Amino acid sequence: MDTTQLLKGVLDLAVLAVLREEDGYGYDILRRLREAGLEEVGDASVYGTLRRLFAAGLLTTYVVPSESGPHRKYYALNAAGRDQLTRSGKLWRSFATTMDSLLDDRGMAA
Amino acid sequence: MTVTEQEITDYVARVRAALADLPPTQRDELTEDLADHLAEFAAETDGTLVERLGEPETYAAELRAAAGATGRGGRNLDQRVASAVVRVRARLRVLDTRLGPLLGYDTAGEFLRLLRPAWWVLRGYLAAMLVTVISTGGGFGLLPRFGGELLAGLFMLAGFVLASIWLGRRSAQLAGWPRWAVHAGSVVLAIFALAAVGNAEDRLGYNDYYYDQTSVDSQYSQVRDVFVYDSEGRLVENARLFDQNGNPIRLGYPDCSGPVDQYGNPLLRPYPYCLDQAPFGHRAPGAVVPTPTGTPEPTETPSTNPTAAVTPPATPGTPPATPTGEPSPTS
Repeated sequence: MDTTQLLKGVLDLAVLAVLREEDGYGYDILRRLREAGLEEVGDASVYGTLRRLFAAGLLTTYVVPSESGPHRKYYALNAAGRDQLTRSGKLWRSFATTMDSLLDDRGMAA
Repeated sequence: MTVTEQEITDYVARVRAALADLPPTQRDELTEDLADHLAEFAAETDGTLVERLGEPETYAAELRAAAGATGRGGRNLDQRVASAVVRVRARLRVLDTRLGPLLGYDTAGEFLRLLRPAWWVLRGYLAAMLVTVISTGGGFGLLPRFGGELLAGLFMLAGFVLASIWLGRRSAQLAGWPRWAVHAGSVVLAIFALAAVGNAEDRLGYNDYYYDQTSVDSQYSQVRDVFVYDSEGRLVENARLFDQNGNPIRLGYPDCSGPVDQYGNPLLRPYPYCLDQAPFGHRAPGAVVPTPTGTPEPTETPSTNPTAAVTPPATPGTPPATPTGEPSPTS
């Protein structure tokens, strides 16, 4: 199992999390995820996730003109998005704790 | 920025093509924004899109995986339809490459693409013929007419053919309802063409049935009956006409009661069919009835001795002065 497979399940949560600190446009979000350690994440995955979260009504968008280069489309969390982040975050923490203790009990080093 | 607009457009087109099996609304939802996103991406990175993002097909697969996790209603049916479409397309592709060599091309599609301009011309002609049928109400030949006018019809034909070619060359760029309108119009014209061919086939079959074994040109289609007069101006009864090959010449159709049963087929009756409709009267009073040599034979083999191989004179020599007026149909 590599990181790509694990990412599939949690990319929603990761994107929501990086948007919580600050609104961002596509490439900016990708860069922040990679800086946070998710180096294997691809642009198509992030873009696809953004489109899906937007379609699900968890994000709002706005366009900011750029003085050099094309306009940038910024994504921002709305109330529903923040709710989703809270719920998914809790779910992930309890899941991660379960997995940690499962591995700990069997003597796997962290 | 090292990436051109064209590169982005091509990349998006290939991603869309790779997602062709998705329902159109979902595909649009995924890719409507993609060109802007790629422009944004290209502005911040170096190298071509393919270098930065991989092949469009790979990108599309990743995009599909990232977006495919949504679980909205109806998705299952959509997915089933989409996978069925994919299977059908795969079959067609196999068929395409199998049939191609038979035609001398790599694929059948390659050959059919060559025929496309021919279809555009035919489509223009069919449109002109459809207007012909509508404007002249039913009866039509092979040339278009506008309200019965041939010249106007030919102008219309030229216009429609040019318009059809123009549409054909641009249909690839059409999208949305104009594209559907062109497709629907083409289907209507194809159905019209099939109906017209079927109709023509029926009409030809009709002709075969009734005018077999004749050497009659269509200019005699007005002729209903034939009256033969001899040199004395007497009406010849029970006359038969033959061409140089001995085939009976059948003109007209008996529309008055007569000795049908004697020959079975009313078309085998000798001329005239309707004695009392003779234009110049029957015969001079007291004249000998001009019986042909021998009695009319009911057989259809005239090669031995045609009973009365006479041609109808253009004008009878001397019409009888006193028409008797009493019809005496001999049977």
